[in-house]
Amino acid sequence: MTEAPILELANLSKTYGRRGGGVRAVRDVSLSVGAGEVYGFLGPNGAGKSTTIRMLIGLISPSAGEARLFGRDLRTDPSVLRRVGSLVDGGNFYPFLSGRRNLEVLARTHGGGGDRIEALLDQVGLARDAKRKVKGYSTGMRQRLGVAAALLGDPDLVILDEPVNGLDVAGIQEMRALIRGLAVDQGKTVFLSSHLLHEVQQVCDRVAIISKGAIVRESTIAELLRQDDGLRIEAAPLEAAEAALASRWPVERDGEALIVRATRAEAPEVARRLIGAGANLFRLVPEQRNLEEVFLSITQEASPDA
Amino acid sequence: MLSALSAEALKMRTHKATWSLVWMFPILFSVIFLIAVGIGLAGLEQPATQSLPEWLEDTALIWNIPGNSIGRYLIAAFVAVVFAGEYGWNTWKLIVPHRSRTSLIAAKYALIVILFAISFLLTALISILGIWARDVAVGSPLPAGITASVLLELHGKQSLAAIAPVLVTIGYASLAALLTRSTIAALVISIVVTTIEQVIFSFGPALALNFSPTLIWPLYHGLPGYHLANLGNWIEQGAALRVEFPTSGIVELPWATSLAVVAAWLVATVGAAFAVFRRQDIN
Repeated sequence: MTEAPILELANLSKTYGRRGGGVRAVRDVSLSVGAGEVYGFLGPNGAGKSTTIRMLIGLISPSAGEARLFGRDLRTDPSVLRRVGSLVDGGNFYPFLSGRRNLEVLARTHGGGGDRIEALLDQVGLARDAKRKVKGYSTGMRQRLGVAAALLGDPDLVILDEPVNGLDVAGIQEMRALIRGLAVDQGKTVFLSSHLLHEVQQVCDRVAIISKGAIVRESTIAELLRQDDGLRIEAAPLEAAEAALASRWPVERDGEALIVRATRAEAPEVARRLIGAGANLFRLVPEQRNLEEVFLSITQEASPDA
Repeated sequence: MLSALSAEALKMRTHKATWSLVWMFPILFSVIFLIAVGIGLAGLEQPATQSLPEWLEDTALIWNIPGNSIGRYLIAAFVAVVFAGEYGWNTWKLIVPHRSRTSLIAAKYALIVILFAISFLLTALISILGIWARDVAVGSPLPAGITASVLLELHGKQSLAAIAPVLVTIGYASLAALLTRSTIAALVISIVVTTIEQVIFSFGPALALNFSPTLIWPLYHGLPGYHLANLGNWIEQGAALRVEFPTSGIVELPWATSLAVVAAWLVATVGAAFAVFRRQDIN
């Protein structure tokens, strides 16, 4: 990432309530997102994702820290938000207006984008229902309309809060393709929050994991999954194998296999010890955890001080 | 700013309940005059001769609405929906990131003022035409001396006197809406404040006599009630409104003082509304 970041947060914090007795919803969040990236903001419910996003789009003001968009401080230059499209809370619309009319209101508020309405309705699969009042829309339809609203001003940065909530399987696939397309085909930067790890894994280049208001890990998905989590061993007799390794590394049984808390670099030594102890080695592979397991271990470990 | 105003108009004109609060005045007056013309055509009313001042006064009845409590409650209801509706529908999140908060609020004020101006002007026009049509239908002779300039002068004065109560009501209701984030709460607060203001104005001397002169006297001078009426009196009669307090003396203030007090209330409420919204977290 050599270009200046599109989005940069520095020690962004939000405290609700009185000083001292207040609740710190977000604490010292720092991250940066480069042009054309799809950046995932992962965290369990109540971790501070939505609060952070609301600070990013000027809905709430930070208690401390700085948010910079396109190199400009949001607090001193909120006009920079005209280059940002956002979807928060699953799309909030005027219930007495049709989907199309809601986008018209938004286009007029924004001061442009009216000519893109039909194409966007088509893109999110709402062309047929565009004349219906939003109060009759399903959650998924509102979500789609929210994405159309986010893209209305042809923004350079798209901020999506839980964009696949309420979508069916086909809708999720379409949304996934749409998000990737925004970055790959249109060069837009996407910052999306989710608690659905699979979705993040599918579309994001990098992720930040937030837990209890603080970022506890920031890396690529590949790096997250490449952690040294141990070696899985299938050997016999199991007792002899366990005895040979337990003096050197922590060992756990997992059914008919052993999980040895050794690094990938220590794998040859593990093999030599097993053979030296007279055990037959059938399989030795790095323990692979899926993103869910990694996420759970990170968020459960993390308990920053209040 | 114009695009924000047009966005406001687009959303509000589709919200039938809110829209009807604006257009109920011309609709109601149209219905009343249609009935009056119908009665006249059916021969159910005897022709009568009206003097020019009486005839003119009838055409200008509409301008009494913004200044009385019921008219102000209706205006407050519309303002409450326009401002607090965004919280109820959760739609500030949709529009706040796209436009400065100041211009969003300014667009709402502009829309409200423009709509009520059109509504009242239209109703005044309907009143003039309706009374003329009624007289023609009944067979009453039109008083001599009705000219465009006479009508313009009277309606100009009356509309000028009606502006201040409308603006003060808009100030109350908008600030209450932004502070409470609730249409109902904003309406209730506006009704309570308007009623207190009207009660103090209407019954100030009696309240001072029977309760607390030291409290009522400054309230009478500080609240907009007397000053709104005094401005109206200056515009229509060219003289101050004289109110005698048996305990404390006479209230009879120059128009500039009343204008200053009303302006102070407007600046305070509208200014506070802008300040509140600029700093407000939208969760």
